[in-house]
Amino acid sequence: MIAVFHGRSPRPWWSLAVGLTLLAAWLPLLPILEPLLRFDRLAHMLDARTAALLWRSTWISGLAALLAIVLGWPYALLCTRFQFPGAGLFRLLMPLPILLPPLMVAQAWFGLTGMTGPLATVFTFGVCYAPLPALLAARSLHKQAASSFESALLIAPRLAFGSLLRISFLPAMIGAGFAFLFAAADFAVPDYFATVGDLFHVYAAEIFGHSRNFDFTAGATASLPLVLLGVVILLGNAILLKRQLGYEKNSGRYATAISAGRLTLPILLFMLTIVTVLLLAPLGRVIFETGNQGPLSERTWLEVSQQAFREGIDRGRGDLMRTLGFSGLAGLLCLFLAPLWAHMLLHCKNWLRLPLVVLVSLPLLVPSVALGFGSILMFNRPWLDQFYSSSLLPALLIAGRFLPIAVFLLLDAMSRVPDSREENAALAGCSYLQRLFRYRLGTQHASLWLAAGLVVAFGVRELDFAILLPAANASAAVRYYNALHFSRDNFVAAYGLILILLLFLPVMLHGWWQSLRSSDQ
Amino acid sequence: MRISRATLLLPLLTLACGHSDGMSSGPDLVVYCSLDQDLSENIIAKFEARTGFTVETQFDVERNKTVGLVNRIIAEAKNNPRADVYWNNEIAHTLRLKDAGLTVAYQSPAADGIPAAFRDADHHWTGFAARARVILYRTDREGLVPEKLDDFLNPAYAVGGAMAQPLTGTTLTNATVLSLQRGNDAMLSWFAAAEAAGLSFGAGNADVMRRTTNGDFLWCFTDTDDAAKAIAQGHPVAVRYLEQGDGSLGVLLIPNSICILNSGKNLDAAKQFLDYILSVEVETQLAFSVAQQIPLHVGVAMPAGVQIPGQDYQVMAVDWPAVAAAISARAVAFQEAFVK
Repeated sequence: MIAVFHGRSPRPWWSLAVGLTLLAAWLPLLPILEPLLRFDRLAHMLDARTAALLWRSTWISGLAALLAIVLGWPYALLCTRFQFPGAGLFRLLMPLPILLPPLMVAQAWFGLTGMTGPLATVFTFGVCYAPLPALLAARSLHKQAASSFESALLIAPRLAFGSLLRISFLPAMIGAGFAFLFAAADFAVPDYFATVGDLFHVYAAEIFGHSRNFDFTAGATASLPLVLLGVVILLGNAILLKRQLGYEKNSGRYATAISAGRLTLPILLFMLTIVTVLLLAPLGRVIFETGNQGPLSERTWLEVSQQAFREGIDRGRGDLMRTLGFSGLAGLLCLFLAPLWAHMLLHCKNWLRLPLVVLVSLPLLVPSVALGFGSILMFNRPWLDQFYSSSLLPALLIAGRFLPIAVFLLLDAMSRVPDSREENAALAGCSYLQRLFRYRLGTQHASLWLAAGLVVAFGVRELDFAILLPAANASAAVRYYNALHFSRDNFVAAYGLILILLLFLPVMLHGWWQSLRSSDQ
Repeated sequence: MRISRATLLLPLLTLACGHSDGMSSGPDLVVYCSLDQDLSENIIAKFEARTGFTVETQFDVERNKTVGLVNRIIAEAKNNPRADVYWNNEIAHTLRLKDAGLTVAYQSPAADGIPAAFRDADHHWTGFAARARVILYRTDREGLVPEKLDDFLNPAYAVGGAMAQPLTGTTLTNATVLSLQRGNDAMLSWFAAAEAAGLSFGAGNADVMRRTTNGDFLWCFTDTDDAAKAIAQGHPVAVRYLEQGDGSLGVLLIPNSICILNSGKNLDAAKQFLDYILSVEVETQLAFSVAQQIPLHVGVAMPAGVQIPGQDYQVMAVDWPAVAAAISARAVAFQEAFVK
């Protein structure tokens, strides 16, 4: 058996990946497949009221994706390929906004500006998910073949700049596609802006209401229009990715950065503005909220803030560690699973690729509350008691749900590596895992870590199935939302900051390490 | 020296795999709790300290308004019921569990002294530590504050006021109670008329409270626990009880409720837990908490300024089984009216 996995054939590893995905993602989906696929109810579901909700969700998510690309793409372009003071720091800060829970960003911007309504929702989602197009575009720009770029630069700077736009646009679009998916499925942010301003609803509220008023199968049935919309977006992403495969491939040397010259000051101001909007302003407001009180309060801001941080650590420390534990384990699982899936998709027959993409993506598209209830029905058995109560179950579910993001990222990264590398390694008798991790992914480790990091970040933020699973119930997200809705604003702000700090640290350290390695090279 | 990244992962892996709740042999009691985590976890910890039992507690979030855990109890009961006790922060969904045959009868001696209206005749559930539905209004602004529910229909009152949509939690329970009194269609028309009069609808009780303290509204229709938090935070607000006086309906009181579930495990520990939670001591602790929950035992000490139901204000009579039977259907009707 072990010899099979030491062999040169990828099939045993691909089978293992399929088996793990079955456990992590597809088995919990089984109880909702029948209610989800009630296409006959689609016409009945979409009456004037629900069609209006779906349309509102679509345009809010569409505009948010557009804003994400408007903010994220130039940010990535400028800090990755232009030389100006602080470019390295801006690169380091690029992934951080994705670690801010969208609800916290919504609260912060409401506190700062008083903005409410659907447009405030668009703004919040755009700001929160701008790192997705930015990170994908940055990876692409980082890996551009140095020779072709420098040749273009020698002929005409305009040509070189055009090549930068060309090579980073499709990855940025793919990132925006994911931004659309997350925005369309989010209930908390529109719900928040509806509570602080005029009431409005999105389609996610319809799904949530059905899950609440009947059971999760009704929620799954109600989610069909959004799932279909998600499939369309993901297929669009797959098509973009396929077009991306035709682009130039990395030659192993990094392309020269362009000196900003006379544009240094405007670029610097532009970058500072974006970083302020994406990160500094919401963080500043949240820090202020840790000590904010009513006008009749007799305590100082500092006293209230200190107490909020003390409570955050005292009450929430255990939940934080548990959350980081199972989310980290999910990230580790994706470190292993995502490369196998991406490689399988890269090499599978054309007719099989799209069905596989849909299958892998389905757990991301269905409501996570339905996934949670599905896992209760599948795994809550007397003989599986230990597994059902363990941290392994939420880790598996998080890995299964967010695997598509990691797979898409790695598919993009792998497609940039010349096939000849892997073919030469095969001729030299290397095992499959050596070919995959050393030769196909050898120059793409940053993408692998980014993929796992995103899974961890999204795992930490997951609330809906955290409530439903024994080991995930005592999690940071549950404590955060509980405190939020019970008006413990100081605690919420302090606890959110502690959570963000814990997430920021490894990302910053990794970014710093990467920049050291880049400068060595 | 080159440190592989896999080495850096080891602490994370250890953290993830090595995590345990200190319950390797399983807990002595599994409690599902919809009351605010900050309020309930200290009480449960005290029970653990006194009895030596290890209690695994699973919490809900306010966004789900008890239904997340209720639906989870129902889903888990299909193959392997886990929860021994359900502590609900309201009442209607506890009765749903009884109707589904998932509860066990237990007459706790600690429930003596709680009015019969808040106890199940078959002893499947007991109510305690209630919240009242009240008006919270700003004391620093001039304007009309309702004294009756139908004042919500008068633009002179409604324009400065707000209430949560009747989709979840106590507002849904309140709307269901009223719709049983007035009829479903009449209640939907009442909401439409209130909106037409200028009443604003928010997503939840805590949210309309926050907007009132921020100055967006003169008053809001909310729960006493939200009102207590607003006052404790130093906002210039006060509470008014609706429907008082001869022939008036009185204030709706919605208690916490607790029941033993038929998990078939830990029944003795579950009974001890109920005795503890229903005690005067816990009601007193909840009364003096930030939520100032209203004790149902007669004669329990109360914080200064908190009014006593039945003595300081009239309480509405409610047929809770009828509310439980109607609440799901009403929720759908309200969702179709409000979510658009």
